[in-house]
Amino acid sequence: MSILLEQLLNAVALSALLFLVSVGLSLVFGILRVVNFAHGVFYMLGAYMSFTTVTLLGSFWISLVLVPPVVGIFGALLESSTLRFIYRRPPIYQLLLTFGLALILEEGVRTVYGPTAKPVDPPALLQGAVTLAGFHYPRYRLFLIALGIVVGLGLWLLLTKARAGLVIRAVAQNSEMADCLGADVQRVRTLVFGFACALAGLGGVAAAPMTSAYLGMGISVIVDAFVVVVVGGLGSIVGSMAGSLIVGAAQTWGGFYLPETAMVIMYAVMGAILIFRPWGLFGEEE
Amino acid sequence: MTGVPRYPGQPKGSRPALVAATLAVLIALPWVLARYQMSILTELFIFGLLALSLDLIMGYTGMVSFGHAAYFGLGAYASALLLINFAVPIPVALLAGGLLAGLVALPVGYISTRATGIYFAMLTLAFAQLLYTIAYKWRDLTGGSDGIAGVPKTTLWGGGPSLASPTAYYYLVTGTLVLSLLVCRGLVRSPFGRALMAIRENERKFAVLGEDPRRFKLAVFVIAAVFAGLAGALFAPFRGFASPEVMFWVLSGQALMMVIIGGIGTLIGPVVGAMVFLLIQEVLSSYTEQWMIFTGAIFVLMVIFLPGGLVGAVKAWLAGRSSPAQGAG
Repeated sequence: MSILLEQLLNAVALSALLFLVSVGLSLVFGILRVVNFAHGVFYMLGAYMSFTTVTLLGSFWISLVLVPPVVGIFGALLESSTLRFIYRRPPIYQLLLTFGLALILEEGVRTVYGPTAKPVDPPALLQGAVTLAGFHYPRYRLFLIALGIVVGLGLWLLLTKARAGLVIRAVAQNSEMADCLGADVQRVRTLVFGFACALAGLGGVAAAPMTSAYLGMGISVIVDAFVVVVVGGLGSIVGSMAGSLIVGAAQTWGGFYLPETAMVIMYAVMGAILIFRPWGLFGEEE
Repeated sequence: MTGVPRYPGQPKGSRPALVAATLAVLIALPWVLARYQMSILTELFIFGLLALSLDLIMGYTGMVSFGHAAYFGLGAYASALLLINFAVPIPVALLAGGLLAGLVALPVGYISTRATGIYFAMLTLAFAQLLYTIAYKWRDLTGGSDGIAGVPKTTLWGGGPSLASPTAYYYLVTGTLVLSLLVCRGLVRSPFGRALMAIRENERKFAVLGEDPRRFKLAVFVIAAVFAGLAGALFAPFRGFASPEVMFWVLSGQALMMVIIGGIGTLIGPVVGAMVFLLIQEVLSSYTEQWMIFTGAIFVLMVIFLPGGLVGAVKAWLAGRSSPAQGAG
C-alpha cells in the first residue's frame, strides 16, 4: 500500500514538472499559433541560471524568484527580434525558426558552462525526507507537487478572473477580432511568449536540484512536453494538466514495473489516445 | 503546374543541355578531385539523398516530419548489420536498409497521419526519439552508444567488382542519388504526385472529392522513409560505422534545414541545400568550436529573409531579369 502511495506521489511530482514546461508550450501555441521548439532550451537556461545564482548568492529561494523573470525577458526579446516577422508564413517556418534558435542557445550554454553537468543543492528546508503514513518521502518532491498546484491555480485565476487573462483568451479565440476591438495583439504575443519562457525557466529552476543542470535536458524535456500536449491537446491548460498526469504516471509506473520499456509505454499510451482523439483529449480540431 | 504554388520556385521544366552537362561533370569529377575532396562530395550526396526524401513529404505533401533521421538510422543499422555479419553485396544492404525503414514507417505513419500539421511534426519527433532510445538501449544488437564499427564496403554483386575504393563508392552514391532523383521526379509528376500537392493545398477539398487523403499521406510517408533508409544504408559502409547519433533529433532538424536552405518543394533544391549546409559546417568548424551557433544564426536569417531557399532566390532573380512583374513570396 505504501509503495503504491509512494509511486503515486512520484508520478504527481514528475507531472508537476512536466506541467510547468508543457503549459507554456500550450499557451504559446494558443496565442501565437507557434510550436516553440526552443521552449525546452529555456527550461535548460533556467536550470543553469539557477546554478549560477545559487553559486553566487548562495540561496535557492532567490534563484526561484529571480531566474524566471530573467528567462522570460530574454524570451520576449527573442520573440520580438525574430519570430515577430514571420507570423504570416506557413507554420513550418516558425517551427524551423525556433529550431534554429534552440541550436544557437544550446551551443551558447555549452560555450558558457562547458560540457559537465552542474549540480544544484536543494535549500536546507527541503532537504531530507518526511514520514508519511509509514514511509519516508523526500521533501523536495512534495515541494514540486505544491509548486505545480500553485502555478496551475495561479494560471487559472489569471486567465479566468483577471483582465489580462480576458485579453489573452480573446486573442487566442480570434486574434483579428481582438485586434479590431483594440487589443494590442503584438504586445500580447510578446508578453505571452515571455511569460511562457518564464514558466519554462521556473520549471528548470525547480528541476535543477533533482536532475542537475546538464546539456540535453532541454531536448529531453521538450520531447516529453510534446507528448503531453499531443495527449492533452494544444492550447488547452486543462489538457496540459491532464496530459502531464498521464505522461507522469506512464513514466513512473512504467519505470517502476518495466524499467527497460518505460519510454515504450509512454508512446503506447499516446498512440492509443490518438487513435480515438487525434487532436488530444482537450484539443480542438485545427 | 497550374494554380499558385504555395512554396516559391517549384516545379521547373528540365533543360536537357544542363542535365547532360551536370551528368558529364559528375562522371568526370574523380579525375579532378583529390581523395579527400571526393570523400566529402560522397558524403554531401548521401545527405542530399536524405534531404531529397524529406522534400517528398515536406515540400510536396506539406507534412513536416521532425523525425526523418530515424529512417536514415534504421537504414544505416540494417546495412551495417548485414555487411558486417554476412558480407552481402552492397546493393543487398541498400535494399535491406530501404526495406526496414519502410516497414517501420508503416505503423509510425499510420498513427502519425491521423494528425496533421504541428501535431504530425510532434508525433514524428516522438516516435523518432523512441526509435533512438531503442537503438541506444538494445546493446546486443546495436552495440548501444558505441554503435557498430568496421562496416566493410563489399562488392557490387557476389564476386563482382569491389566498391572499397573512394572512386567506386563515389560512383555508387552518385548513381543512387541520380536514380532516386529521377524516380522522385517521376513520382511528383504522376497523378499520385498531383494528388499529394492537392492534399498540401487543401486537404479537406481533396477529401470532399471522394478520396481518402490519409492513404496517400501514408504511402508518401513510407516512400520517403524508404529513400531515407537508402541514404542511411549508403552512409554506414561509407563511414564504416552506425551509431545512435545517426538517428538523433539533431540530424532530423538538420535535414529540415537542408530542405529549407535549398528550396522546399523543388527536389533538386534540397540536394543543393544539403551540400551547402554541410560545406558551411565544414568551413565554420575549421575556424571555430562554436560553429553550431553560426550555423543556427545563418539558418534563422535564411528562414526570415529567404523563404524560398537558394533555388527560390535564383528563380526569383531569373524571373526578375526576364519579367520584373513576377515576384516570389
